[in-house]
Amino acid sequence: MGSFIFKRSFQSILSLIFLVIVVFFLARMTGSPAMLYLPPEATQDQIDAYNALHGFDDPLIVQFGSFITGVFQGDFGNSLQYSRPALDMVLAAFPTTLALAAVTMPLVLLISIVTGALAAYHPGGVFDRLASLISLIGASMPNFWVAIVGVLVFAVTLNVLPTSGTGTWQHWVLPVAVLVLRPAGVLVQVMRTSMMTALSSVYVKAAKAKGVKARAIIFVHALRNSLLPVITVASDQAAGIVNGAVIVETVFGFPGIGKLMIDSVLMRDFAVIQAAILVTALAVFLINIIVDISYAFVDPRIRHS
Amino acid sequence: MRHIILALLACASPALAGPETEVKIVLPAGPDRLDPCEMPRSVIGRIIKQNVVETLVELNYADATLMPRLATSWTQDSPTEWTFKLREGVTFHDGAPFDAAAVIAAMERTIDPALTCITRTKFFDGVDITATAVDPLTVKFTTAQPSPILPTLLAQMAISSPNTPLGVYTNEPIGTGPYRFVEWVQGQDVTLERSGEYWGEEPVITKATYVWRSESSVVAAMVATNEADLAFSIAPQDATDPDMDKVYPNSDSAMFRLSVDVPPLNDIRVRRAINLAIDRTAFLGTILSEEATEATQQVGPNVFGWNDSLTPWEYDPDEAMRLLAEAKADGVPVDTEMRLIGRPAMFANSNEFVQAVGEMLRAVGLNVNMETLEMSQWLEVANKPFDPARKPNIFLTMHDNNSGDAAFTVYFKYHSNGRQSELHNPELDALIEKAATLSGDEREAAYNEVFRMIYQDIVSDVPLFHMVNYMRIGPRIDFTPTIANAVELQLAKLQLKSS
Amino acid sequence: MPSSIPASVTAELPAAQGRRKSAILRSLLRDRYATVSVIFLLIVLGCAIVGPTLLAEQARALNLKGRNAAPFSLDAGWMFILGGDALGRSLLARIVVASQNTILISATAVLFSVLVGGILGLIAGYRGGWVGDVLLRLADAIMTLPSMLLAMIVLFVFEPGVTNVILVLAVSRIPIFMRTVRAEVLELKQRMFVVAARATGASTSRILLRHIAPMVLPTIINLAALEMAFVMLVESGLSFLGIGIQPPEVTWGLMVADGRNYLGSAWWLAFWPGLAIMLTAMSLNLLTNWLRVVTDPVERWRLETEAR
Repeated sequence: MGSFIFKRSFQSILSLIFLVIVVFFLARMTGSPAMLYLPPEATQDQIDAYNALHGFDDPLIVQFGSFITGVFQGDFGNSLQYSRPALDMVLAAFPTTLALAAVTMPLVLLISIVTGALAAYHPGGVFDRLASLISLIGASMPNFWVAIVGVLVFAVTLNVLPTSGTGTWQHWVLPVAVLVLRPAGVLVQVMRTSMMTALSSVYVKAAKAKGVKARAIIFVHALRNSLLPVITVASDQAAGIVNGAVIVETVFGFPGIGKLMIDSVLMRDFAVIQAAILVTALAVFLINIIVDISYAFVDPRIRHS
Repeated sequence: MRHIILALLACASPALAGPETEVKIVLPAGPDRLDPCEMPRSVIGRIIKQNVVETLVELNYADATLMPRLATSWTQDSPTEWTFKLREGVTFHDGAPFDAAAVIAAMERTIDPALTCITRTKFFDGVDITATAVDPLTVKFTTAQPSPILPTLLAQMAISSPNTPLGVYTNEPIGTGPYRFVEWVQGQDVTLERSGEYWGEEPVITKATYVWRSESSVVAAMVATNEADLAFSIAPQDATDPDMDKVYPNSDSAMFRLSVDVPPLNDIRVRRAINLAIDRTAFLGTILSEEATEATQQVGPNVFGWNDSLTPWEYDPDEAMRLLAEAKADGVPVDTEMRLIGRPAMFANSNEFVQAVGEMLRAVGLNVNMETLEMSQWLEVANKPFDPARKPNIFLTMHDNNSGDAAFTVYFKYHSNGRQSELHNPELDALIEKAATLSGDEREAAYNEVFRMIYQDIVSDVPLFHMVNYMRIGPRIDFTPTIANAVELQLAKLQLKSS
Repeated sequence: MPSSIPASVTAELPAAQGRRKSAILRSLLRDRYATVSVIFLLIVLGCAIVGPTLLAEQARALNLKGRNAAPFSLDAGWMFILGGDALGRSLLARIVVASQNTILISATAVLFSVLVGGILGLIAGYRGGWVGDVLLRLADAIMTLPSMLLAMIVLFVFEPGVTNVILVLAVSRIPIFMRTVRAEVLELKQRMFVVAARATGASTSRILLRHIAPMVLPTIINLAALEMAFVMLVESGLSFLGIGIQPPEVTWGLMVADGRNYLGSAWWLAFWPGLAIMLTAMSLNLLTNWLRVVTDPVERWRLETEAR
């Protein structure tokens, strides 16, 4: 197991480097920041001075070199927009998004595994139909729509939740609800399908015929077998929470990393984009490693291969 | 089910705004820095201007006149020299005294090329200004060129504490205002507190917290539920409560700039036709507020130099089609595809506005292709150097002149060397250059003529509207917004309703 | 590999082919949900094909004075039965016209990511080794970039036209198909029938396409149906952020994003296109659930017995 984790981490670092290079050059293809930070009346001299001040007049490869040198010294450069160290800003915003994800994902897994497994036990039954309907509605609603309707209904009409912002636990109810909706909807479907496949395999059917006690054991066994695709999709959904967070943080004014990333792309704040990507990438890689380990845990055959 | 949810949630009554004399204010966007030298940007000015940091001279936005603030009086000694008398007994929040040395330090920090401060780049670049102390409470400003509007320029310059670090941006503004900066939590809020040692009258509000949200419906909901007391701007469709929602001119003027060098827009008949094809009044009270007004020029009535004798274009699609047919008969390629360019969220419902204009232009037979560009791409099109191979552009711009003088508009929008100017008309250039050196009635008459030429003789653009915002004000607060709120909100002017 | 379904089916049961077709149709009609779904999807498909030709002008006709007309009123004609939008255009006409771009974008993007992701997943799962590792880490890298952010950067560099939106959405969804397929293959390749096939000397491609792909299909088809909705939603999210499809082109996602500004005053602007997305997603899903039953080797066996 130890060598597996080591190998896996080594590979992850390689793809992290690949990602950093891609983002560095891709971001710079979106255009120069100078015009965004100077008043429209700015003269060409002012623009040149601005570019020189921030090193944007150097060849790209030189800029990349100094960026890499900086990274190895823990320096991601300063935010153009905020004139503060980019890494500080990202690390200040990251915990909020992480907390959103940390509350959301366990809820999602709990809801979807339980609902999906139960729905699969009697396919076509009332519970199955109802679970399918609700999960599909959840999975196909635009999250910004849900967020705004949520504010209008729960904050304005019923006046039981705050509209937006942070502070008390009530402030987290709407954002988390919005974030849970889609991943839970998707995972219920995945769990249901996967569980049905597991339950319909011949040996399970045979065991089922043997009696109630065997049936319970088989249910647990099938559950374990059917978790593989669920873990795969769940890890994708977990990585995708940043997408949802972009919207949730925008609507509810949460000071997280999703909004920070979007703003920094809009404002061509390259240092912040790079730092944010690197920090989220690290987090996602961590998730992926955990997922790979849990594969091995769920399915012993993978461990041996 | 609903009852259970309600019961569960009822125990969690939402947080209300703080004690009686504290206010919470919702901005459309958060600040990126709080440096006093960046104060002319409304995202910063709305928080700190005249609250934390003050200016020597205060601009009365309604009629472009000047009022004393940190300076009590001023005189022009020669075309290049001005002397300002300073207010006595004023101290900065950090204890430093306000005197001639402090003014000089603030000036030097503002024009320091190590910082790209907007106060310098927009107002003081090329002015070549020096400040000297005559005595501790008298400052003399000398400029290289005659500067007839120096006091107007100084109304934009924040006087920050001499202890403010030089050469780097600060996010902790220290000034002489009635409020002291307390804290800025990244992505969350900014807090100001009454300083208690203000030289003027003590304001009623003791503490102000600024938060920011981008969705208008959420912003409106915050004030409606008493979570906040004042929201700077909400969309017209959310301004449904006349008791709370107050309209104010936001000093923005919208127009389409036409690329006058590119066929078919190089033909004045096509440019006239575009003006005639847009039903401006149809937008008022529908997509835009009914309080917005039709524009004839790039500045509004609050700016010195505004020409009051121009009348807005009539909506006349038949005449537009006749002009286009005439141009076509003369060989003008009126069928060429034109780009109709907008930007997301330029103003509330600007997307819908551009789409509607596109349909109106299509209705008279023009071939337009709508495009929405994000800020950076939009600026590439907005500013020189223009792409020589560009398509004919019908380009939506917003211009705000908060400084009170037409000089800040006409040069950069219409002079051959102006960064956003499509024009190169020697006669107009000469007039613009001359106007800048004049003062008083002569100056006003010269700018009036500039705007008349652009509107009637050249027809280089499609003036649209002078825009308004809706401010939503909670029931506790007594306040009437004005055009000044486009760039500032003096907390001292907020009163509490006695209840 | 959707094309492999009929191939494997016919190969295994040549005699039952004729009976099977009518059996499938009968089973479809027996499943009321699936029937309704098929009918709805056919309507959407019809709208997507002929809608823009029929209603393009109605979908663009302005009426500013009559903006945000309320739904369920025939005062302005049946075109306004769903109400009018912020520019007074018929919502019904716009939804019909928008179906073309919406379906085009989501179907093409999903098809692309299913094909590419599926093939890469088969390779990564079956071959393993360094090829699998490289593929997986590349997928990790793409998955790591939030798709919204990737889309934003790419659409800022290139033009936000239909093709680029499709490409961005497709590329960002490849990893999920690849990883899902790989996970299934890892499990399947240990099973008896694969081991048996390998022992009899079947070629790798034959094992992959004839034995493994059909077993992976149910999960993939189900996921693809969900992804269709997701792609529509991401596309909508791009419009929410002000990038994505540009007017006068229109998609349901764009309509929802534009309509959100009126949720407090005219809910129908965002509701109907949102409902269209939801109903399409649901229909696709109910259909795939039924399809899963008829394509699943085990379930199919039951169907065959019933048909006999």
